[in-house]
Amino acid sequence: MHQHTSDGTAIPGARFVDPKILARIGSLDLLARTVVDGFINGLHRAPYFGASIDFAEHRGYVSGDDIRRVDWRLYARTDRYYIKQYEADTNTNFCLILDISKSMNFGTRGVTKLEYGSYLGACLAYLASRQRDRVGCITFDSEIVSYVPPSAKHFNVLLHTIDRAKAERRGDLTKPLASMAEHFKRRSIIVLISDFYEDPSAILESIKPLHFLGNDLIAFHVLDPMELDFGFEDASSFEDLESGEQIPVVPESFRDEYRQLIRNHIESLKTKFSEVRIDYMLANTAEPLDRALFSYLSSRERLMRVR
Amino acid sequence: MSFLAPLFLIASAAIAVPIFVHLIQRERKRVVQFPSLMFVQKIPYQSVRRRRIRHWSLLLLRCAALLLIVTAFARPFLKQGVVAAAAVGGTREIVVLLDHSASMGYGDHWQKAKDAAHQAVRSLSNNDKATLVLFSRNAEESMRATSDRARLDVAIDQAKVDADSTRYGPALKLAESILLRSTARRRETILISDFQRAGWTGSEDVRFPEGYTVTPVSVATPNADNLAVPQVTFSRQAFSGQERVTVTAGIANRGATPQDVPVSLEVEGLPIQKQSVKVGPNTSASVTFTQFTLDKPIVEGTVKAGSDPMPADNTFHFTVSPSAPVSILIVEGGDRDSSLYLSKALGVSTSPVFQTDVMPVTRVTPANLEKRAVVILNDVAFPPAAANGALKTYVERGGGLLIAAGDHTTWPQGEKDVMPGTLGPTVDRTQARGATLGYLDHSHFVFEIFKAPRSGDFSAAQIYHYRKIDPGATDKVLARFDDGGVAAVERKVGGGRVIAWASSLDDSYSDLPKKPVYLPLVHQLVKYLAQFEAPHAWQTVGQVVDVQSLTKSRANWIVVTPSGKRVPQTGPLELDEQGVYEVRPASGSAGFAPQAIAVNIDPAEEDLSTIDPAELVAAVTGHAPAAGAAALPNAAEAEQIDIKEAERKQSFWWYLLVTGLLLLAAETVVSNRLSQSEKFL
Repeated sequence: MHQHTSDGTAIPGARFVDPKILARIGSLDLLARTVVDGFINGLHRAPYFGASIDFAEHRGYVSGDDIRRVDWRLYARTDRYYIKQYEADTNTNFCLILDISKSMNFGTRGVTKLEYGSYLGACLAYLASRQRDRVGCITFDSEIVSYVPPSAKHFNVLLHTIDRAKAERRGDLTKPLASMAEHFKRRSIIVLISDFYEDPSAILESIKPLHFLGNDLIAFHVLDPMELDFGFEDASSFEDLESGEQIPVVPESFRDEYRQLIRNHIESLKTKFSEVRIDYMLANTAEPLDRALFSYLSSRERLMRVR
Repeated sequence: MSFLAPLFLIASAAIAVPIFVHLIQRERKRVVQFPSLMFVQKIPYQSVRRRRIRHWSLLLLRCAALLLIVTAFARPFLKQGVVAAAAVGGTREIVVLLDHSASMGYGDHWQKAKDAAHQAVRSLSNNDKATLVLFSRNAEESMRATSDRARLDVAIDQAKVDADSTRYGPALKLAESILLRSTARRRETILISDFQRAGWTGSEDVRFPEGYTVTPVSVATPNADNLAVPQVTFSRQAFSGQERVTVTAGIANRGATPQDVPVSLEVEGLPIQKQSVKVGPNTSASVTFTQFTLDKPIVEGTVKAGSDPMPADNTFHFTVSPSAPVSILIVEGGDRDSSLYLSKALGVSTSPVFQTDVMPVTRVTPANLEKRAVVILNDVAFPPAAANGALKTYVERGGGLLIAAGDHTTWPQGEKDVMPGTLGPTVDRTQARGATLGYLDHSHFVFEIFKAPRSGDFSAAQIYHYRKIDPGATDKVLARFDDGGVAAVERKVGGGRVIAWASSLDDSYSDLPKKPVYLPLVHQLVKYLAQFEAPHAWQTVGQVVDVQSLTKSRANWIVVTPSGKRVPQTGPLELDEQGVYEVRPASGSAGFAPQAIAVNIDPAEEDLSTIDPAELVAAVTGHAPAAGAAALPNAAEAEQIDIKEAERKQSFWWYLLVTGLLLLAAETVVSNRLSQSEKFL
């Protein structure tokens, strides 16, 4: 049986990654192994990359260089000082940043956005862990709730942290993201999972410091189908999950304008992220996880090519 | 009481919102929980009714909370605290990194950069110290750490744009090492540059310690137009015993507008031709000039293209010389066919051209060896005329000797200084499939071109006979057969080189001449033995040339730089100016021909696209620069900094914000109670 994605293409092994089926699996560890192993078996090419410390080039010595890196053999031949430079170690940090604000606790198809984000994060972390990358995570709402520093041994801690996470408080992307830059001392792959209910310019300004540090960012915008389609029927008082504010809404008269606004919001995010070379992907909680995994793998591969 | 950000007070108009809310009373309906009403709120809702204000206490609570929060955002402070704040801070150690690479010659970039450097000097207080570092490809301290602003200003005024390329790594490393030595409390680097993208690869190993600040000052012109001549190519034709050269120049337009560019060629200072070419935006075009005759050993030429704010890259200098064929003597045993493959293979080369003479061993005289780049003993006994040290003298003077060992080959005992090892008997490998080449030294020039996969299949060649060679202790084995026997061995004698190939180079001993690798192998062998080096028509600023290697003599030389300075030179010469360097024999070295070296600026300098200064600062310091850090403070701004410092210390906003939030929390409790007790909100 093949699962069909929204664009109609069949993906092998997609039956392993249907979010509704995944919701029945209690353990995140088992879930991640099931999804990732099933997904990788469907690929024609192994996504894992070897680590190497290969010689890259010589460079002239300048004041301030470490003299231990001077190539003395070359000095003997040329009577000049040169420094040996190497390809960087390819093992990298993988950090999952998961939004656990109250708005993430919304779901109409049996899976809330937070659960979907947790599945996605667990799968990516497992994939990174198999790659022998150091994995870590940060959960936040209006401030940083928990921080697991990246380490090769922290996969189980990460699973425990995101499994335990509860969406209970209001969210605010800007403040915690601004303070996160402190946590990234070396280049990392950062996966940001959120519903991005903020002004796109403000989001971008908050993310920029992370990106400037040389980190490779992938942003997953998790939305429920009802948030995209606004398929409500009856006139009701709509209550904001985070603020508790209520507004009377007649869905039929609101629907078209709402859809246009959310489309504009998504387009704006997509444009602004692409301007600063951050990968952006819309994740619909009704769709399987494999598209998100593909997006991550392509980004990881691109990072491998960077010296 | 004053406000740091008084514009925020405009937000107090938001007080109308709670009043408006209290005027609108809505009937409670079925409640649907939704993640965010961010978009729903933007859609106007029509069916509302205005009623009288109810719940005055709730309204006052909401208005008060709003006013307190707005006031907090306006950042109030008391002016008395400003004076105290001015005293805080401490001594500063500043490193001013001033980019003087070729690209800074664009328009008014250099003047703007010097103005920015002067402004940085003016911002020094009496206890502060500053170091001026000029950098392009390398960095040097133009003025060591000093508090003397006059000396720093003089050093800035004396600085000039050079012709070298931009690299930020060495400059930042030098700044780091200067700041590390300092004991000042505040350590700052001011980087004044046009922030060319080519100067920063992202892989520079520069990371400042925590607490150091980098202030970027960009003098770049957005979307700068620039014309450049990045390179020229030559095609040669022989005509009446002389060579004619056709010059084709590439013209790059790095601007956003198409341009009609006048392009001219000058040879030896005389205009040859002027043409016009249309170059589209961000594209390149080429111009081919009429050909001219090479009537001198070295002909100097210049291509000039249009005019723009950066004239340095609109001029391209080159030198071109008549191509010199490599003279080769093939000595054979009298059987004309034995050198057929060899002479045919050498005859097809165009760069360089091999001038080949074939001569029987009996007719060889010592005079025949003179002025030969390479002598090939092709399966012949040792030439009697070359005995008694004649061949050794020839090799020691820099000649090349290739010995193809066959049945007829002999190595006399008297010539053992030249011959690479001892020649043994013929090994017959016709019984099996024949021998193949099992090991090649790919690090050697001869086999380097076969290093890449599928770039030369030596295993297809079958060798049926070869002569056993026992190499000497100092000889280098270049290739071996599959049974371990030596296939090629090299010995260096004086300034020359000798290579012995253990089999013949015709088809009597092997089928190697019929294989595709034969041609490149023979060419590589001869080029290596002749010590052939393709002449450079131009060099790039920053490169180093060895004058003695260039002139192939150990005489004393005088170098005249493009700016007219005369420098005696015997060793390496660093080319740091754009133009033509003349290398003339010094007095007492008459008889040597003068040389010329054309030098152009690095093509990377022509690309004026910029890197975001914030990105560079983030990579160096580990955190993104604070807003407004991209500008140097003047006196008014310094006062503004003091005000900010006072406001930061007083921190009234914090108390106001907390009180406002507490009022909002109380508002939540009150409104919840009211909403539970009533049907209406």
